[in-house]
Amino acid sequence: MDLFLAIVIGALVLAAVLIGAYLYFGRSESSFSFDIGGGAPKASGGSDTSAGKTFSGRLKGLLVYVSAIFATLLARLWSMQLVSSDEYARLSELNRTRTIRTAAPRGRILDRNGNEIVTNRPSLTVVAGPDVVQDVVEVQLLSNLCGMPYMATRRKIRDESEGAQSKRTVSVDVSRRVVAFIAAHPEVFPDVDIEERSERFYPYGSLAAHVVGYTGTVTAEQLESNSDESGAITYHSGDIVGQAGVEYQYESVLQGISGEQTVYVDSGGTVLDYVANVDAQSGSDLVLTIDAKIQEAAERSLVNVTNYIRSEQGFPASSGCAVAIDCASGEVICMASFPTYAPSMFVGGISNSDWDTLTDEKNNYPLFNRAISGQYPAGSTIKTLSSLAALEYGLADGEKTWNCTGWWTGFGEEYGMYCYLKTGHGTIDLQHGITMSCDVVFYEIGKGFYYSSDPEGLQKTYRKFGLGSYTGIDLPSEELGRVPDAEWKWNYFSDAPDDSRRWQGGDCCNIAIGQGDMLVTTLQMVCAYCGIANNGHIMKPHVLKSVRAATGEGSVIDYKPEMIHECPEPEENLDIVTKGLEGVVYEESWSQTVHWNSLDVKVMGKTGTGQMAGEYPIGWFVGIAPADKPRYVVGASIDEVLEGAQSGMYVVRDIMGAIYDQPDTLFTYNVPGADASDGSYLW
Amino acid sequence: MDGSVRHSARIPVVGDRLRRGQSILSAVFLPQLVPALLLILYGAVVIWSASLTNPDAVFSRHILGIALGLVAAALIWRFDCRALANMSTALLVIDALLLISPRIPGLSWSTRGLTGWVRIPFIHMTVQPSEPAKLVTIVLMAALCAQYNGRIENLKDYVRLCAVLCIPFGLILLQPDLGTGLIILVTGAIIIICAGPKPPWVMVTIGIIVVGAALVIIESSIEGIPHILKTYQLNRLIVFIDPSVDPSGNGYNLQQAKIAVGSGGLFGKGLGNATQAAGGFLPESHTDFVFALLAEEFGFLGSIILLGLFAWMIISTILLALRIEAPFSKLVLVGCAAMWSFQVLENVGMCIGIMPITGIPLPFISFGSSSMVSQIMAVGMVQSIWRHRQKSG
Repeated sequence: MDLFLAIVIGALVLAAVLIGAYLYFGRSESSFSFDIGGGAPKASGGSDTSAGKTFSGRLKGLLVYVSAIFATLLARLWSMQLVSSDEYARLSELNRTRTIRTAAPRGRILDRNGNEIVTNRPSLTVVAGPDVVQDVVEVQLLSNLCGMPYMATRRKIRDESEGAQSKRTVSVDVSRRVVAFIAAHPEVFPDVDIEERSERFYPYGSLAAHVVGYTGTVTAEQLESNSDESGAITYHSGDIVGQAGVEYQYESVLQGISGEQTVYVDSGGTVLDYVANVDAQSGSDLVLTIDAKIQEAAERSLVNVTNYIRSEQGFPASSGCAVAIDCASGEVICMASFPTYAPSMFVGGISNSDWDTLTDEKNNYPLFNRAISGQYPAGSTIKTLSSLAALEYGLADGEKTWNCTGWWTGFGEEYGMYCYLKTGHGTIDLQHGITMSCDVVFYEIGKGFYYSSDPEGLQKTYRKFGLGSYTGIDLPSEELGRVPDAEWKWNYFSDAPDDSRRWQGGDCCNIAIGQGDMLVTTLQMVCAYCGIANNGHIMKPHVLKSVRAATGEGSVIDYKPEMIHECPEPEENLDIVTKGLEGVVYEESWSQTVHWNSLDVKVMGKTGTGQMAGEYPIGWFVGIAPADKPRYVVGASIDEVLEGAQSGMYVVRDIMGAIYDQPDTLFTYNVPGADASDGSYLW
Repeated sequence: MDGSVRHSARIPVVGDRLRRGQSILSAVFLPQLVPALLLILYGAVVIWSASLTNPDAVFSRHILGIALGLVAAALIWRFDCRALANMSTALLVIDALLLISPRIPGLSWSTRGLTGWVRIPFIHMTVQPSEPAKLVTIVLMAALCAQYNGRIENLKDYVRLCAVLCIPFGLILLQPDLGTGLIILVTGAIIIICAGPKPPWVMVTIGIIVVGAALVIIESSIEGIPHILKTYQLNRLIVFIDPSVDPSGNGYNLQQAKIAVGSGGLFGKGLGNATQAAGGFLPESHTDFVFALLAEEFGFLGSIILLGLFAWMIISTILLALRIEAPFSKLVLVGCAAMWSFQVLENVGMCIGIMPITGIPLPFISFGSSSMVSQIMAVGMVQSIWRHRQKSG
């Protein structure tokens, strides 16, 4: 700056000297005057004065012309440099400042014991501008360097899924050698950059994939919707956001606040100077209620059991799910859905072929979280609730018995229905009706309701236990299920003749045994059993345990348990039902009981076989443990099997085994190909 | 070639008095010299600041140009310019040769699509002959017009003068350098107008020029026929009205120049702090767009000072022309004033978006020795006229 000052001062001094010289000497000359009218000589030398007049007239015209020029320039400069100066100054700043966004790492997702289910890892990524595709040589060099075929490289650079103007991801997780080569030869790779990205990493592989969900590049709709929301995180094109599961549900917690680095650049984009820096704030860590160990057992069990059913029983066992809930708090201990997928497939953008695979019906939709989105007929698991309804409405008591011959004609011979046990159960009371799952008992109950003063008492009880309504679990895309009643049937079958649309006695019998149009989700069923286990208090199921403080120890938010349904039942009624449920485990069949004998804790539960016309049944089991002081409610449903006792029950037993660390010793799945230890058991 | 020329030979020259040991100050016309020197100084400061970030702006070469110009101006000042009034034929030949020289093989040196440069053999210096040609044209037109002593009575004479002016104008359009061509045309036209043709003729001439220019532009805008103006020339002419015709090229340049000028504000960003120029956003910040650099560094005050100095110099020159009696001297002064005022209008006007974009340097300020030397020579010519003026009673 000294040189600046010297030059300015020198120039000013010189200017002052020149002006001074002019003022001093110029005035002494005094022949010059701005007053041109006075002493100025006219044209002389005898020429006519008119020519001189012409000259002076034209020259005055010239003066006017020159004055007009300067006035115009001055006026325009006035408006630009004084009036609109701020706007131009803003544009000038805009020209030379660039803001570089530094992405904030997403929060991690931990299980209830602090194990990392989802975390981040740095990844060196080669990105290229869209125009690189036109340079054949550059693309060829890039593909050689990244070890990819030429056409694959070309396709990646052409891919506009991250935005038409944004840089295209060519290769993720490149080696330091590649980075060094590209950095050393900028002239060979114009418009190719290395970005250090933070990517989702899944230490447990696909564990709890349906709970944690996956991430993806922010979509155009998400970008649009966040613009009008004030105070929320502002997304930018290319941001990674949660697209499913907890990643989606708790996006605002997991998403950090990106940092900004302001720099001065020249017209070529070269950074000249750093101006300001706002550090990125990483997102908060989530602690889930999921227990990784139990979750792993549940997922492995689903694979093993379905494999076993396919090979030993010859049923497709195409899919299934399992949920375990701590009934006192509503904490979801595990939630598994089969088939599953690896969320890592979505890291760095999912390929079209991977996406097609995950959304193909042939693969049974691995992205689908069956525990909350799969709606099935409840089968005999509903009989527990039907019993409570019957006891409440006086259609049954501890003493009342029915006679099951295997063929029931309560609505006349032409409407006769079979018990699943066609040889019949004989004389049977309610408790054993539950234990043996005798259909005739519940046909009678259904008939009783049909002719009672409150024909929809069954539905009322089901709804009281939360069926037909959202549990409100903190995961997206939960389904409602369906508790059919007269009004629903009338509207639903609007094309059918009136006679078929009307609510019939058979409908009551159907819903009493969980068949027909009745649909539930596995989570709803587990929650309903929580009502029985927890003395009529159904807590809202949830997967979030707490949000960890971004800095330091402790949590900033702890999930507050919340009751969603209150369904207290008289002690004596519950007693009948729970005895019946215990009987299911320890009395109904020796082949069931042997599995549970290896578990010290007493368990109660109910099998179920949900039937849909023309399809293989759904095998259910919902268990409660310990039977005397219930804490865990575990439910499982498996599609396309023989029955619940030989499918869902195995899964529940395995989960209980993981909870109490007492695995099912009797049952070993020596099925070839059922290697679940690597954590990537996709189909 | 009568009247005024013979007349001037009898005028006692100031130089005689100098030889008798009188003050040099009486031999220089300060109201024109002082602002000219201040402008040169101002320009040197601006170019020095540009040289900090722009490797093309070599400060020492700028100073060399100034030095060469001052030497040339001093020589001209010693010389009685009125002698040139007799040499119109020679002037025309020199003018033509200067303007054709870039087309002569072995001499030509093209840059930026213009073939307006001549490379002098052996010393490898490039000069722009169109710059001195401007001066030659002024003297030529003044010499021709002075014959009529302020009143052109005959239409044939008027047409002949216009025809002579068309020779340098036509030659420079061949280069093609529309900007310099416009300077020559406007300067020559103002000399002719001041020489006293009848107003209706002038009006008709201007009308013809305007209609002709409009036709050329329209013709060049029609698709599918051979164009008189090349696309870039047309874009430059109309981009200041509609920047969208060339948003990445001239439109961008214009926008950046306007941002530079506007962001200067009242006091400017300070010497060396011109971010538009330093960051390379402002193109040609040391030559064609030097005013934008100056306005960015020194703000509205700096712009006023620059325009004030120009106004002072130009108006002083015109006022001197009013007082000088010899028609030739009068018309040379008119020519110089016209040239400076039009160049200021065009150069500054281009930077602030009121004139088409042309490659015209800002006198005394822009980097470029050809222009600098020629402009200082013009100052020398004005001074020479003052020194050799006929003293009135």
